[in-house]
Amino acid sequence: MAAPFEKYLEPLAIEGERDIVSARERVRDAARGLGFSAVELTLLATAVSEIARNIIEYAGHGTISLRLSDSGRNPGIEVVAEDRGPGIENIELALQDGYSTRRSLGMGLPGARRLVDEFQIESTVGKGTRVILRKWKTSTKAA
Amino acid sequence: MEVPILKQGEYLIASVQVALSDQDLLALQQRLSALTGTQEVRGVVIDVTVLDVLDSYAVRILRMISEVLALRGARTIIAGIQPEVALAMVRLGLGLEGVETALDLEDAMEKIARRGKSRSPEGRSTWPPLSRNT
Amino acid sequence: MTEEELSHRMKVIQFTEEDVARLKKLSPYAREYAEPVIEEFYRHLLSFEEMRAFFPDRRTLDYVKRKQKEYFVRLTEGDYGMKYVEDRLLIGAVHEKIDLPIKTYLAMYAYYENQVASRLRAAFAGHADEAFDVFLSLIKLIRLDMILAIDAYSLRREQTIRQQEEAIRELSTPVLRIRDRLLILPIIGLIDRKRATQITAQLLTSIRNARARVIVIDITGVPVVDTDTANHLVQTVEAARLLGAQVITTGLSSEIAQTIVRLGVDLSRLNTVGDLQGGVEEAERILGYRVIRGEGGSSYLEAG
Repeated sequence: MAAPFEKYLEPLAIEGERDIVSARERVRDAARGLGFSAVELTLLATAVSEIARNIIEYAGHGTISLRLSDSGRNPGIEVVAEDRGPGIENIELALQDGYSTRRSLGMGLPGARRLVDEFQIESTVGKGTRVILRKWKTSTKAA
Repeated sequence: MEVPILKQGEYLIASVQVALSDQDLLALQQRLSALTGTQEVRGVVIDVTVLDVLDSYAVRILRMISEVLALRGARTIIAGIQPEVALAMVRLGLGLEGVETALDLEDAMEKIARRGKSRSPEGRSTWPPLSRNT
Repeated sequence: MTEEELSHRMKVIQFTEEDVARLKKLSPYAREYAEPVIEEFYRHLLSFEEMRAFFPDRRTLDYVKRKQKEYFVRLTEGDYGMKYVEDRLLIGAVHEKIDLPIKTYLAMYAYYENQVASRLRAAFAGHADEAFDVFLSLIKLIRLDMILAIDAYSLRREQTIRQQEEAIRELSTPVLRIRDRLLILPIIGLIDRKRATQITAQLLTSIRNARARVIVIDITGVPVVDTDTANHLVQTVEAARLLGAQVITTGLSSEIAQTIVRLGVDLSRLNTVGDLQGGVEEAERILGYRVIRGEGGSSYLEAG
């Protein structure tokens, strides 16, 4: 089974669109360090780009933290994106394709979900949103 | 970071050099739109070989550039999308419907040469007319 | 294996500090008996035909004997931490590598235990209870070693299986270049997301390497096409298009075509042609080749 995420990297502040580029570069470096294939690390970097953009668009600012698991048989990365924005009222709706309350295409969350192995979201209206993505070196998602 | 734009015959070539921010992309759209719209410019090739991520925003801008340029009477070819990037895009649900694509700059120039000066009616056909040799 | 996992396993088999203390007391005996016990152990082992194959020459035998003696003494030296575990895992992996069956490996322990039991009986004459306790501690430790060995065996097996899966997957989707800038991708078997990703990645790399303009994907060998499979196919076609190539799909059987329509999957973006031959001809036409039919049904190509 998967080993725990034992290595925490310094959280990255997401405050402007420049930080979106930094966030995906950082996750790309981390994934490369764990031996991810070019395909897998691009999928993950793209997902991070989407959730970082979501932070900017809906909350204005937030953080993205990476946690690595590299002691087990299948190394992995956990990405935690947090903001103290307005929160999402209807998560199910937000995860539907094409849903958007603002100017983006609404690809953000449902798109990011399709690119990773595990996807979790918690949100409280008025408090903020936390999105967790996990991806393993050998993808565990079959269907 | 401003994207350099070169003129090659009747085409403009925009070579993206580094990862672009949203502002950079919007600026590119404005410059390309301003540079087209004359008889001297029939189309634009945007070389994205160096980009290792094309997320929904970037794809949307590329699509918008293509639409804007079509209204200005010019053709758009996106060249050099990397295999991993293409895979991530389709997994994300992002296509470039209606936008011409090419393997790289060389392929784009070949496609331009093959089509000659004829412009396809919808400005989107990737292929020469099937009847050409039959 | 982490420090935490190890201490958990120790708890499961109820291996305590008391056991460690008892085993340490055995240390002088272990040193004394290592030589004769191991010698007898191998005499017994080599009396079996099937075992002899694993020790082909004198040098190998001397080497494993020396290692076994070290192990025998090591069992009573305390300090059963990570270093100990790593050594055990290594031994398991080595045995797997030489194809020693795990049943043989475990069976060896039986002889070991018998040997040790009779020596203990002699050494602790008149103190049966104490001998029994010590023996129990030793059995616990040996049990841990067995668990570790099985772990190492199965880990190596898993790795082998994974490598084979990888190899099979690659073999199962050959991308064939049949003409300049024309590739054929025959897909055989079921397609799930994992395989779809792998097929697409492989196709895209081939497109780039061959500078392909047209790809014919033949799915005659795909037994079932459900909504997911159809979507994967559409994604593969889209991805190829993003690299400037065009895809022709062939080999949709009558059943599959009907299923797709009934499922309501939109395949309008696919360019489909009945069979592979038709697909290749269409591809050649797109590439500007002219098919010229000669007398007697022969045909040849002329570059356009």
